Amino acid sequence: MKLIKRRAFSRIAVILCVAIGSVLLLTGCVRGMSPIGWSGVLIADGSLYTGSKEGRLVSVDRGTNPPSVKPAEPLRAAPSGSTCSTTGGSGGTCGGSAPGVAIYGTPAMANVAVLGDLIYIAGYNGKVFAYEAKTLQQRWVYPVEGNLAPIVSTIAVSGEMLYFGCTDSNLYALDTATGNLEWKFATGGEIWSSPVVDNNSVFISSFDKKIYAVDAATGAKKWEFSTTATNVATPLALDGVLYVGSLDRNLYAIDETNGQQIWKFTGGNWFWARPVALNGLIFAPNLDSKVYAINARTGAVQTQFDCGGQVASWPVVVNNEVVVATQNGKLLGLSANSTTPRSIAAIANNVVAPLSADAGVVYINGPDNVIYGFDVITGAQTSIALQPK
Amino acid sequence: MNLGPWDIIILQPIINVLIALSHFLFNNFGLTIIVLTLIIRFILLPLTMRQLRATKAMSSLQPKLQELQKKYARDKQKLAQEQMQLYKESGVNPIGCAIPMIIQFPIWIALYQAIILALAVNPEALLNLSRYFYGWAAPLANLPLSNSFLGLNLATGNIFLAVLVGVTMWVQQKMVTSASQDPRTAQQSQLMLWMMPIMFTFFSISFPSGLALYWVISNIFSIVVQYFVTGWGELNLNFLKGRPKDTAPIKDKKGKKYSELEQTPKKAPSGSPTASKSPQEGLSDGKSRDISQDRGGGDSKSSNPIKRWFGRS
Repeated sequence: MKLIKRRAFSRIAVILCVAIGSVLLLTGCVRGMSPIGWSGVLIADGSLYTGSKEGRLVSVDRGTNPPSVKPAEPLRAAPSGSTCSTTGGSGGTCGGSAPGVAIYGTPAMANVAVLGDLIYIAGYNGKVFAYEAKTLQQRWVYPVEGNLAPIVSTIAVSGEMLYFGCTDSNLYALDTATGNLEWKFATGGEIWSSPVVDNNSVFISSFDKKIYAVDAATGAKKWEFSTTATNVATPLALDGVLYVGSLDRNLYAIDETNGQQIWKFTGGNWFWARPVALNGLIFAPNLDSKVYAINARTGAVQTQFDCGGQVASWPVVVNNEVVVATQNGKLLGLSANSTTPRSIAAIANNVVAPLSADAGVVYINGPDNVIYGFDVITGAQTSIALQPK
Repeated sequence: MNLGPWDIIILQPIINVLIALSHFLFNNFGLTIIVLTLIIRFILLPLTMRQLRATKAMSSLQPKLQELQKKYARDKQKLAQEQMQLYKESGVNPIGCAIPMIIQFPIWIALYQAIILALAVNPEALLNLSRYFYGWAAPLANLPLSNSFLGLNLATGNIFLAVLVGVTMWVQQKMVTSASQDPRTAQQSQLMLWMMPIMFTFFSISFPSGLALYWVISNIFSIVVQYFVTGWGELNLNFLKGRPKDTAPIKDKKGKKYSELEQTPKKAPSGSPTASKSPQEGLSDGKSRDISQDRGGGDSKSSNPIKRWFGRS
């Protein structure tokens, strides 16, 4: 009997080792090894545009009942040797990965002479694509040959130029009509944040612990501002002041013209999401599960909203209320006149993608490849599957 | 997403120590991985030692167990009783090898996960990492940590480190593997000896090499500890020494009962395999083959001297 037991133990040891290998493989992948993407929703001309989890631009025509979903051709993965790295592959073979190219940026739109409305989207495969808004036919791609490093940034459009940051450390400016490179500006670290264009300047934050102001036309540096940690958050430009959070736990107010600090506020964790402004207050979400309502002029905190979950998605202003979504699935309304969040709805999924709003409805591109719409007054939910079942 | 019990009890402390260490080790992630791996392996050392001693004790009992199996081949009940008696007298718990190993698994897995999270290889990973910070650790977090270490990019797969993982794991497995007369056990040992290194080499190529660095350091630590407990074990170092491998009985400084067990065969009558020659002396025919190479067949009448030796015992 003991012999049998010993044999059993040997077998158990083999099984255990195989199990460990499998657990290591699976847990490693599931817990954040694979890029999945968190594209937001662009609302334009009655349609919704977003990057799906399959790795393609999708348009949703709200004018039809049910809304018609039209996908563009899927983005193609960059050739990559590593399945689980930052090389911009498709997401690889790990469990939990997106089946296509991850898309983090929200689509952007510009009206281009002759071509009409074009929709722009950047992929984790290191490519930027332009599509016709109506047909979703591809008009151009940058770069034409090869790939850049993975792109996390959302594209910003201003005039005849579009801007995006890249993990190759460069800020790029392209011609909106042709996709030709106008200029690029090198920073000292990866860029995950999205550029903001204001007063002929492009503002971008970088992993190199700096925030830059660059001439929008030429790409020449105007100033740089140093923080004490990596910067991932996208700035908010308002009335000549740049409000930008950092992983050093500070929210900075910086003079757009000269890069001088006006004030800073320290939170409990990283400032990840872009803040929004309402009634003279800056509503800045922090990963300490709070949203701080800060006086835009003085930097004094007026209210701390305890949201009960991390807020990583960009908030949106709807009906004189700031709407935020937490990573544990709460949709909350924050008002300058109140100190407690108003519950709008509970969402089954965690929310990381930026929020968008139109006509009293907040749109969220969920992690399950579904666009959810929530009426901010009633909390009524609508959902549109981006991938036909 | 809230943290679960696994995250709070095991993963979160490790991640925060990792962050704090990186802060004090010049934001050098490679150095941080090495130091943290060593710290954890040292903390787990008592368990590791216990496991190794238990394994060694089981190995030492093999000749006696084989003897009993031969003696009571037709009486399974009696065999079980005698084996139980032998274990009791020797103070060996057959599951003693497995329990410490099982206790260590969660720590290893947590360390592995912590490294993956801290590498922050993509936006989701970095965002996920923020959930694990203690209040005091957030200001120390100089993230993402520098991935560069000795010319290697720890965030991408590296073939050199992957091969090193495979080699060190094979060496460690080889040292642990004990000679077994039972063909099934021998077959499983062979499977383990090759399967794990190959599997982990494959993992190492696919995953960020920060993990490979962790595995390499962990394996080297195991090899060193194993050496001090049992010597080179089944590892044949002839190719290094240019002579038949030294097969002197393994030494255990602390396990008195085990040393008694080792002494027992020495008192056996002449002709017994344990009399004056060590078991593998029969290998000095210049071929110096490894025991494990001949285990697959499991034929007790094999011409292999090791098998003959076990057969006589």
